[in-house]
Amino acid sequence: MASVHESLYFNPMMTNGVVHANVFGIKDWVTPYKMALLVLLSELGRAGAQLGLLERRRLNRLLLPLLQGPDMSLSRLRKAIEESCPNLASSVHIRIKLMAEGELKDMEQFFDDLSDSFTGTEPEVHKTSVVGLFLRHMILAYNKLSFSQVYKLYTALQQYFQNDEKKNGIDETDMELTNTDELEGKMEKEELDIPLREEEISCGGPLSQKQAEYFLSQQASLLKNDETKALTPAALQKELNNLLKFNPDFAEAHYLSYLNSLRVQDVFSSTHSLLHYFDRLILTGAESKSNGDEGYGRSLRYAALNLAALHCRFGHYQQAELALQEAIRIAQESNDHVCLQHCLSWLYILEQQSSDSCVLLEHSVKKAVHFGLPYLASLGIQSLVQQRAFAGKTANKLMDALKDSDLLHWKHSLSELIDISIAQKTAIWRLYGRSTMALQQAQTLLSMNSLESVNVGVQQNNTESFAVVLCHLAELHAEQGYFAAASEILKHLKERFPPNSQHSQLWMLFDQKIQFDRAMNDGRYHIADSLVAGITALNSIEGVYRKAIVLKAQNQMSEAHKLLQKLLTHCQKIKNTEMVISVLLSTAELYWRSSCHTIALPVLLQALALSREYSLQYLASETVLNLAFSQLILGIPEQALNILHMAIEPILAHGAVLDKGCAMFLVAKCQVASATSYTPQKKAEALESAILNLNEAKVYFVKVDCREQLRDVLYFQARLFHTLGRMQERNKCAMLFRQLHQELPAHGVPLINAFK
Amino acid sequence: MEDARDLDAYTLAKSYFDLKEYDRAAYFLRGCKSQKAYFLYMYSRYLSGEKKKDDETVDSLGPLEKGQVKNEALRELRVELSKKHKARELDGFGLYLYGVVLRKLDLVKEAIDVFVEAAHVLPLHWGAWLELCNLITDKEMLKFLSLPDTWMKEFFLAHIYTELQLIEEALQKYQSLIDAGFSKSTYIISQIAVAYHNIRDIDKALSIFNELRKQDPYRIENMDTFSNLLYVRSMKPELSYLAHNLCEIDKYRVETCCVIGNYYSLRSQHEKAALYFQRALKLNPRYLGAWTLMGHEYMEMKNTSAAIQAYRHAIEVNKRDYRAWYGLGQTYEILKMPFYCLYYYRRAHQLRPNDSRMLVALGECYEKLNQLVEAKKCYWRAYAVGDVEKMALVKLAKLHEQLNESEQAAQCYIKYIQDIYSCGEIVEHLEVSTAFRYLAQYYFKCKLWDEASACAQKCCAFNDTREEGKALLRQILQLRNQGENSSTEISASFFLPASLSANNTPTRRVSPLNLSSVTP
Repeated sequence: MASVHESLYFNPMMTNGVVHANVFGIKDWVTPYKMALLVLLSELGRAGAQLGLLERRRLNRLLLPLLQGPDMSLSRLRKAIEESCPNLASSVHIRIKLMAEGELKDMEQFFDDLSDSFTGTEPEVHKTSVVGLFLRHMILAYNKLSFSQVYKLYTALQQYFQNDEKKNGIDETDMELTNTDELEGKMEKEELDIPLREEEISCGGPLSQKQAEYFLSQQASLLKNDETKALTPAALQKELNNLLKFNPDFAEAHYLSYLNSLRVQDVFSSTHSLLHYFDRLILTGAESKSNGDEGYGRSLRYAALNLAALHCRFGHYQQAELALQEAIRIAQESNDHVCLQHCLSWLYILEQQSSDSCVLLEHSVKKAVHFGLPYLASLGIQSLVQQRAFAGKTANKLMDALKDSDLLHWKHSLSELIDISIAQKTAIWRLYGRSTMALQQAQTLLSMNSLESVNVGVQQNNTESFAVVLCHLAELHAEQGYFAAASEILKHLKERFPPNSQHSQLWMLFDQKIQFDRAMNDGRYHIADSLVAGITALNSIEGVYRKAIVLKAQNQMSEAHKLLQKLLTHCQKIKNTEMVISVLLSTAELYWRSSCHTIALPVLLQALALSREYSLQYLASETVLNLAFSQLILGIPEQALNILHMAIEPILAHGAVLDKGCAMFLVAKCQVASATSYTPQKKAEALESAILNLNEAKVYFVKVDCREQLRDVLYFQARLFHTLGRMQERNKCAMLFRQLHQELPAHGVPLINAFK
Repeated sequence: MEDARDLDAYTLAKSYFDLKEYDRAAYFLRGCKSQKAYFLYMYSRYLSGEKKKDDETVDSLGPLEKGQVKNEALRELRVELSKKHKARELDGFGLYLYGVVLRKLDLVKEAIDVFVEAAHVLPLHWGAWLELCNLITDKEMLKFLSLPDTWMKEFFLAHIYTELQLIEEALQKYQSLIDAGFSKSTYIISQIAVAYHNIRDIDKALSIFNELRKQDPYRIENMDTFSNLLYVRSMKPELSYLAHNLCEIDKYRVETCCVIGNYYSLRSQHEKAALYFQRALKLNPRYLGAWTLMGHEYMEMKNTSAAIQAYRHAIEVNKRDYRAWYGLGQTYEILKMPFYCLYYYRRAHQLRPNDSRMLVALGECYEKLNQLVEAKKCYWRAYAVGDVEKMALVKLAKLHEQLNESEQAAQCYIKYIQDIYSCGEIVEHLEVSTAFRYLAQYYFKCKLWDEASACAQKCCAFNDTREEGKALLRQILQLRNQGENSSTEISASFFLPASLSANNTPTRRVSPLNLSSVTP
């Protein structure tokens, strides 16, 4: 028996045995809402001269969004009209009411009259105007309807009107408590409605074409620009499933579902949705032009390319490469240079994983410019700049390149790329150790109104570049000892990029790094150690480095050394120069902590050479500090003072507060050490200036709450005061020292022999 | 008592119902109290709703409404039936209808419960069992059902085992049913044939179908499966006879259209074939086999986009249709996108893990992508699960050849030749000559003259390798003579049985082919 009613099905996609791929090409269908608009238009024509100029203008401005927007309910339409012209609204309402409560022939008569507006010597509507086109489309669509369809349209109109009336009516009935008869009817209705369960309610109603399109484009743009405002992944998927249930041909929904799955890192369903989308797209493409440049062949190429992108995003580089090869081959076969260009830029990204040659990239940029693809070209330039920065190219060339690409961006108003460019500049300045410049760039981006906001009204502020800039800003503040400000910024980041969103990993890393630094400053090594695991999860290299630092601070020298050596070879292999230098510095520190200053020297020199070569100024001056310290211990304080003069300036200008303090402390020590050979008078002067420097160092250390260093400074200062015979100040320092010393556990490191 | 009172109204309504005037039937049954009349009343209302829905779909007001068309009667029916259900006033048929209504409203869980109840109340109503079959998707679900313990349950289990591709269990069930006294049932015979078809035991399935046609010559049911089998075996005259015969019986049946489509397809008239599949779909759009078959036809016509569309439709109707996934893979393979089609083949493979065709297809794709390790795995697995087309081993051997792994290659060729000859039938296999040629050269290189010359002689039996075989034979003769003349002590070691030398040398030596068993 089952097969009896199964066979009653009829598939609307098929007529006359021919399968229509996508009926969605046709957009003009008469709906009750459209009829209401037609009524509005005819009323407008009838009212004609009676309308005031202002009202007329407001109505005209209202018309376009009404014509192009999604269907809305009668009351909303009425409200919209009322805002510009109350008289008209009521006359429209009356006419619809007459039609809905009248007979079928009223509607037929209405459509017959519609075409009159084109006739006459001076027609009300021009045939080719927006309104004229709309009218003609509607008349045509109406005339195409079969008898039963016309009847259905009429009942739909009645329902449209009644639904509206009912909504208005509910309030009234509540107050009046009308006769029981109606109440009973209502009861029955409710009874019908109650047993509905969640599944049924969730698929509430189908969206109309326009509504669906709007929904999709809105969600897609939100996903790109401001993820927090978009629906949650689960809710969005539910909506999409609902949409697809009613409109299985709506291929774009599959694409959005692909994007949505990407959000939650779901490989399986994202692949599924992507392929489904392209299977569908191929169908629609096939109808327009077969195998041509535009139609079906094109979507095939992009299908393969997108698959490559998907695999790349999930880190399946080998798979991505295979897919990309396929895309390239198909694109080559059909001479699609634009597609090839896209392939090339992806190829570059994949190559980046294995080698660091930038031949491909340069080539890509040139070609992109040649084919007039500004987006790809400047994206290429940006990648190139990034790579060159790591490879140690001079700053002026890089900034020049960025400036050139900026010109391109402004010309083509690629606001997204402008943001990236500024974020990149921030990062590059940070890399070079120019914190003020970095700060300035970061502020520029944050206070800039993006172009998008002018265009669409969607504030484009949740992109990756904003996350990057904010993270840098937080770290810069933390460096200067403004921890409250830094945590404020991080709190803001947390709100903007909630933990499960795309760019949340960025701030998580920075947050933990800042916490780690604070813990290290305070000497709470166990806390720092507990943070290492979190950092490692987000960035393994950074994590290992931090682990080594903790070990070093806990005086587990050999373990720290082992770890650092391993890290060094790894970083040299992947050419992470910044990390290499940091590792070298830490290694040198390990050496001098074990009193092997002679071994530390060559390591430091190597670090210095590297940081000079890659113009990483900040790291260079830090190296110089280390070097000076070694020289001090080795007994050549004059030499140490000489090279300190070189480093002190950039450190005071751009360095972190902690480094400033260390530098000043070191300067003082060198001054004292070199003063031994001076005459008593000169010596006193030198000691005085050393005390001043120590005072400055003290200020810096207090700022970052670095009490261990503070203790050392106080001790040193007390000794100096003692030498100078200033007992009162000496006693004060000694007392402060004693307080601190009681609070802090003494580590095995001799007090004076460490500068950091 | 009530039955007798309602008899007139019931008879009248039944006549209207038979004439498909459902509303009229329902009208005259309004006040009837008897269970039978009540069922007919509700069922007419249900069918009337379905019919109207289908009619509406044709003149919907555009795409917006396409998905909105619903059977309006469903919800009212549900409310009424659920009231009766709660009051336990429904008989077996009523429960069945309630279940159908729930299923149509996508309330699967409730529907299953109701169908189970229906089966308890009226175990002999096959319709309820069938509906239950459609709703159960895996073995686990089946385990948790509490079904009535009747002989109908055995039929149901056998049927659902067939659906879930648990063929062994299904065949057992059917056999025990035959033993229990159902030996004359054409239904069981047809189901057994279908089961054999599902595990691709083509000969058995064919013979059973032939038997079935003798017993039940005017049967149309299941004949599409029969035609598929005939198609696979390229039995043109039989297929043509079947097509004409069915066309005489009833030409507007889905099965008939399908058989005719297959017939045209076998005659390479793909446009006509596609037309008949379309007709089948028009008769029943839920008949998913036709979507897939239409996809195949479009593939033959090189209309890839239409093929993709047809396959996608098939998948939409049933996600577990492995042939559609496989077809999609093939389409993309034709479009020269080997990586892209991997996904589809993988899906197909997941659904049929023991089907060698998907594995071979996967292997071919990997080979095209130059992922030879994966390709080797696929071919080996394809051989291991029982290769239908007997091509996996040859492909594997060629891969080994490419990778200069001559021993493995030789082993594969030997296995291949053994396979081909042990199967008994002498199918024209192009690759047999290649295999012999490679083996001859391999033994020649290993200086196993006897085996080499035996293989070379085999080569001479084939047209394309005849000259090479002769040349090799001559060379072997020459070298043998030389070897005997110059240094007997060295050649002695070569004449050691390979099995012995395999023990001596660390490398695995291929045991020489036992050609005595291979004689065709």
